[in-house]
Amino acid sequence: MAKVLTPKDFATATPAWWCAGCGDYGVLSALKQALAELGKAPKDVAFVSGIGCSGKISGYVHSYAFHGVHGRALPVATAVKLANHELTVIAAGGDGDGYAIGAGHFLHAVRRNPNVTYIVMDNQTYGLTKGQSSPTSATGYVTGTSPGGNPDAPINGLAVALAAGGSFLARGFSAHPKKLVELLKVAIEHEGFSVVEVMSPCVTYNKINTYAWFKENTYYVDAAPGYDERDRLRAFGVLAAGENADGKIPLGVLYRDSRATLETLMHLPEQPLTKIDLTSMHRELAALSNAYA
Amino acid sequence: MIDPAAHRARIAGRLEPGSNDEDLIREWARHERSLGGYRLLCVHARGGKRHRARKVTKDSSSGGVLRQNNLEIMFGGQAGDGSLSTGDLIAGIFKRMGLEVYTYKDFPSRIRGGHTNYVIRAGERPNYGMADAVDALVAFDLEAVEAHVDELRPGGFVVFDCTSESVPEAIRRSDVTWYDVPLAKIAKEELGLELARNTISLGVLAKLVGMDPALVRREVTGVYERKGEKVLALNVAAIEAGASYVERHYAEWPSGYTLSALADGDRLLMMGNDAIAYGALVGGCRFMAGYPITPATDVLEWMAKHLPKFGGVVVQAEDELAAINMVIGAAFAGVRAMTATSGPGQALMTEAIGLAGVLEIPVVVVECARAGPSTGLPTKTEQSNLNHLIFSGHGEIPRVVLAPGTVEDSFYLAARAFNIAEKYQCPVFLLTEQALCQSKATLPQLDIDAVAVDRGKLTTEPVVFGEYERFAFTADGVSPRVIPGVEGGMHLAPGSEHNEAGVIIEDAANRKRMMDKRMSKLTAMRRDLPKPIVHGDKCADIAIFGYGSNRGPIVEALDRLGRDGIAARFFEFRTLWPFPESEVAAFAAEAKHIFVVENNYSGQLERLIRYVTGPLAHMHLINKYDGKPFRPIEIIEAIERRALLRGPIEEESQSQSVRVKR
Repeated sequence: MAKVLTPKDFATATPAWWCAGCGDYGVLSALKQALAELGKAPKDVAFVSGIGCSGKISGYVHSYAFHGVHGRALPVATAVKLANHELTVIAAGGDGDGYAIGAGHFLHAVRRNPNVTYIVMDNQTYGLTKGQSSPTSATGYVTGTSPGGNPDAPINGLAVALAAGGSFLARGFSAHPKKLVELLKVAIEHEGFSVVEVMSPCVTYNKINTYAWFKENTYYVDAAPGYDERDRLRAFGVLAAGENADGKIPLGVLYRDSRATLETLMHLPEQPLTKIDLTSMHRELAALSNAYA
Repeated sequence: MIDPAAHRARIAGRLEPGSNDEDLIREWARHERSLGGYRLLCVHARGGKRHRARKVTKDSSSGGVLRQNNLEIMFGGQAGDGSLSTGDLIAGIFKRMGLEVYTYKDFPSRIRGGHTNYVIRAGERPNYGMADAVDALVAFDLEAVEAHVDELRPGGFVVFDCTSESVPEAIRRSDVTWYDVPLAKIAKEELGLELARNTISLGVLAKLVGMDPALVRREVTGVYERKGEKVLALNVAAIEAGASYVERHYAEWPSGYTLSALADGDRLLMMGNDAIAYGALVGGCRFMAGYPITPATDVLEWMAKHLPKFGGVVVQAEDELAAINMVIGAAFAGVRAMTATSGPGQALMTEAIGLAGVLEIPVVVVECARAGPSTGLPTKTEQSNLNHLIFSGHGEIPRVVLAPGTVEDSFYLAARAFNIAEKYQCPVFLLTEQALCQSKATLPQLDIDAVAVDRGKLTTEPVVFGEYERFAFTADGVSPRVIPGVEGGMHLAPGSEHNEAGVIIEDAANRKRMMDKRMSKLTAMRRDLPKPIVHGDKCADIAIFGYGSNRGPIVEALDRLGRDGIAARFFEFRTLWPFPESEVAAFAAEAKHIFVVENNYSGQLERLIRYVTGPLAHMHLINKYDGKPFRPIEIIEAIERRALLRGPIEEESQSQSVRVKR
């Protein structure tokens, strides 16, 4: 009988070092809860994160955690999955990590559709470098690097992902723990690349997109009448805020389909690459030289 | 054109007693100088015993044989017109004839159009580089003649497609034989396909140098059989059309060259990049991620074709940043992983290489160097990325740079790179360059049994959580390594400085100890690194340093200097980092003249050697950075200039270099 897991099974000795009230705490506890409820053993979880306040999260989840360079969590996570598809692979990072320096990889991970879950903790600012504008900051947002107001339009990451062929797109809010746990569970169980963008307020630097602001400006699509998360066009409409006249941010599972995963399309052998006997197939290896004889 | 009798007399004239290849080379070099393109001083007057390389045989019926089983052919034309495939075909025929083959591709960075040439050298002894001069130029257009007529050896010959162009008298060298053959016209009229002119040229060549028609036919069959009966028949007919044209028009005009078949034996003809990929596979690589880039793409393509059959995975990444991070991810998960790239991609990978260093993750990075900076000369050779591999990146990490000198060594070092990477848990670079990695060479059968997989301190057995520490301090600096899925081994692998358990801490004492631990692996690994090879007379006054594709021309220069009574020795680096300091110091110690041969402007290897030896007035750089590999004569003349003639050189400053530039 497998032991019943609790979030404590995913706790690390190192306490989380975020500002008091940071939205990332909500993401962390929801993730531990989701992993426990799904019965994932810590040894079988590979958790890859990028750089930034949010990137620190991998250090706070008892697992095989990897805290790499800025913006490159997805290539690492994709390869971990290909190397050992028996692992539950989760990647996490912030809006800067995912939509600025790592935007290219985000697009291509979506295209490839590996069975990996990607959590984008969106606080619409650069926290760890003390409050500059981020790729999801609103136009006009005033910061140290944009004293005259951010001239750039914010990226709609989920809409971009949908256009690129995303197979699972969801958005949560870190102050709604129960909903977030459910979203993460569905995402982790999804066969394919699942993107969960979490509105994760920065209490120190972002004085506009606060908890109160999010509570005021979000809604759950599953409350919308007849919302079909497999309706791609409708998902585009919702993401573009065209459907909701008051321009609120949609939350919940916005879109999902059952496109083939990267592992399937690559015809990955049943046995993980990590378990290949490197001394086997000697004859086949030797035969390769025949083409040069 | 002169008449046939005069032609025979001219070839016979080269067969005077005392004449041999090397005299011809001297003559060629003089010719080059007379054209003003060759900047080296003439070195002639000197004593020493003359050694006959090979007895020149005389065949009365053909008017004499200038060179036997020793031929360098250049196919020149426009990119995309088939020079490369014809060259490959002839390389295969030479191999079947039992000759040693080396090929060199000199092509532009585009798919259609622009001058391209492919050099195929055949001889009885292995040569891992080009000869001094081209014996036979097959020119598909006038541009090829204009570009390369001066590279022809006196006594050599040209096959020129005279269908729509003619060679102006001004560049029609009188010391080579000209075979004007309307290749395209024959192709069109006799075979109904202009494209066939390449294969026709092969028929012409085969006839001119007396290749066994049965062998030619067998190789052509082997290559074209798969493409269907029609294609095969066309190519066989093309060969015959070429041979027949020579019979009808040039029966009285022997080329002076002859090739006779030896035993092929159990040999292979392989390109450097294929050997690297094959070696990596045999060495246990089961994951590759890469981004296409010349001249490294062949490795990615080879792996894409073969790796899945062995349970492995190849990913064409969106860029080199992704490629190296994927390789790191796969290696973190426990699979032997590599990427292959060239300078621009290597630059993009730099940050992540530092991550692999600090996380102690074994990755293998193949760098197939080309001429930089920036896009540089994307299809030409250069050795200007050595500094980059050794010194690039912020912060300091242990790293290894290996450089094979032959196609055969490319296989073994590629396989070995994975053992070094896993045993010492750090990035290992395999450095090669275009003139080696995209060249084909004959080599003995590869010994797969000689490749053993040693995974170092990797454990897949459960460990005790709380006791196990991924970055534990050990005597050799290498910590026991677990991979995801192993019970009890859960930890954080952070790019930030960390303690033994992987927890991020900024403590000063820990920082120092962790740096010491990681860097100490550079010392621990020394016994496992490929040793340099010392060629030549170990007591010689003249000492040469070099690596990679220069091994071929340097070894050849060494042999020929030796035959002229000039003893020299050559230190072939196979490990460039950690730098083999004691071996370098010992090799340099007793030398009267030290030469460092490399393909870059600033003498990157020479500077590394100077770190060890200190500044030496008798150390000289022989360098070249025009995108072309060295020919042996360039090295010989540069050495002779220094070692034998003192005159004008003494006036130059100490830090001067002998720049070989043609």
